[in-house]
Amino acid sequence: METLISLTGKDYVLTASDMTAARSILVFKVNEDKTRDLSPHITMAFCGESGDTVQFAEFIQKNIRLYAIRNNFELSPKAAANYVRTQLAESLRSRSPYAVNVLIAGFDEHEGPELYWLDYLGTLCKIPFGAHGFASNFVLSTLDNAYLPDMDLEQGIALLKSAIKVVQQRMLISQPNFQIKLVNKDGVSVIDI
Amino acid sequence: MSIMSYNGSAMLAMVGRDCVAIASDTQLSANGQMISTDFQRVHMVNNNVMIGMSGLATDVQTLWADFRARTKMYKLREERDISPRAFAHMVSSALYQRRFGPYFIEPVIAGIDPDTKKPYVCSTDIIGCIEKSPNFVVAGTCTENLYGMCETLFRPDMDADDLFETVAQALVNAFDRDAYSGQGAIVHILTPTELITRTIKTRTD
Amino acid sequence: MADRYSFSLTTFSPSGKLVQIEYALNAVASGFTSIGIKASNGVVIATEKKLSSILISEDTVVKAVPICDTIGLVYSGMTPDAKVLIDRARKAAQSYRRVFNEEPPVLQLVRDIASVMQEYTQSGGVRPFGVSLLVAGHDHNGPALYQVDPSGSYFAWKAAAIGKNMLSGKTFLEKRYTENIDLTDAIYTAILALKEGFEGELTENNIEVAVVAPAPPEAASSAGGVVVTGGNPDDPLYQTRPIFRRLTPAEIKDYLVNI
Repeated sequence: METLISLTGKDYVLTASDMTAARSILVFKVNEDKTRDLSPHITMAFCGESGDTVQFAEFIQKNIRLYAIRNNFELSPKAAANYVRTQLAESLRSRSPYAVNVLIAGFDEHEGPELYWLDYLGTLCKIPFGAHGFASNFVLSTLDNAYLPDMDLEQGIALLKSAIKVVQQRMLISQPNFQIKLVNKDGVSVIDI
Repeated sequence: MSIMSYNGSAMLAMVGRDCVAIASDTQLSANGQMISTDFQRVHMVNNNVMIGMSGLATDVQTLWADFRARTKMYKLREERDISPRAFAHMVSSALYQRRFGPYFIEPVIAGIDPDTKKPYVCSTDIIGCIEKSPNFVVAGTCTENLYGMCETLFRPDMDADDLFETVAQALVNAFDRDAYSGQGAIVHILTPTELITRTIKTRTD
Repeated sequence: MADRYSFSLTTFSPSGKLVQIEYALNAVASGFTSIGIKASNGVVIATEKKLSSILISEDTVVKAVPICDTIGLVYSGMTPDAKVLIDRARKAAQSYRRVFNEEPPVLQLVRDIASVMQEYTQSGGVRPFGVSLLVAGHDHNGPALYQVDPSGSYFAWKAAAIGKNMLSGKTFLEKRYTENIDLTDAIYTAILALKEGFEGELTENNIEVAVVAPAPPEAASSAGGVVVTGGNPDDPLYQTRPIFRRLTPAEIKDYLVNI
């Protein structure tokens, strides 16, 4: 019942995560941040079992921070994504697995913008665009139809807007607010669209 | 839906004259929703052996990390590449270790024996029971189709070009009638001297 | 408590020596002589089997022992210590076979044994093994002969001697060894090397000889009725793979007659 959408452009990655916190038929709040920044150039959007999500995201965030402090070296987006995958894959066969799906958006000075799709099973896949949640059924069609590689930021934002619009127009569940994060050479920032 | 078809896949390995091939589809889907058309299920173990893993994608990645580590340690320890036969038994024992909580993959293994230069092809079930084959093995979500195509198209003693054409046609025509797999294919042909890799564009509907 | 305060018995002397290991080597040097020769088509290992009393039933004493189908060893030094190592080596060989369905390469097995022996020079509350081993085997690299010492170091030899008459044995082997020696010649040479400094007369009952060689079917069936199968039918080299085999007293006698 949560929505994560992300796409890569020429020199950036955009992520959109819905801000609704709800359970059963009750909406608690509509300004929940469902992202955590793992490093200056990596952000992770997450959804899934409430309770697991923030717990897992902050565990990852703090461990990647610890690695950076210990080694005076920031993990690449690829390395960070593989670290998260390992944690989820190990958790899957533990007594109480985390039920968390994530999108990891990063910018690497050599590789450029990168986006990783990762589900609660630990399936890792590098993709140009993708989504998690019920809304993926609508959103992926929109993105498949209009996505172009190497879009500039303006085009990317326009596409993301149309994807969010489809969710808000066609999905039964209300998701009034989306938080948009931009990852590029300057790092991670929250933007208004 | 079975956990074995959660991610969908189609692959086969086939024997030629002094060569072997593994062919696999390239899509990753989850519950029938397509995630990517560029997912890697086939890996080179060394210059003599390759492995393709059908089944649950997370276990494909977990086990490949394990097999890669084990075979690299083998190489450092014994100062030689692992043979296809020894690798297959290593895979088998790794899978059987988890007999009562298995990894949900069915691997196919193909290689050229470094000593005898003979082609070797086998597959295992999810708990590591090896099935050796003198001609071809199949795995994935459309094994019925794959068996049908392979039974029809297989001929003994194909050269590398013939083998490529045969495995490519067998795979593509099998997964085109399967909803869970498809969206492009990759074929690896291994000979005693080289590895030929070709990607194939297929229908994407 | 006992294991928390178990300090190593093997400690450095001020000059940088580990005297416990030197004592272990002394135990080896006072043990029965063992000889090993690597031939072009196999390996032979041989050792003395002198018994302390004529009342001991001699055919129950086995000093050339099989580790797996393709590897065997002889030892010089303390028999009970050797038994521990033999047991470890057999287990290591089988656990290798369990994973790869192949007989272990000789060097891998030697490393496994050597690491056990090294561990006993650095652990708390234990002493080093009072044995040296001569390990003979065959693998993808052909025939192989290794010596393993109490310190955990190991060496590959063309021909080797350990134990009481190690020096005279070695001198003899240096004189008699030739490249491309064949197995039959190597067996004679090994027996003659044992004869150097041997007190009393060599008989088929007071020495043991074992070979790693392709099994002649008739010899295999005459080996006390035990059919030696030579390992794994899956193995592409199944028919030709040399296997470890102890020579029967009758076979040893045939060699002794010709000396």
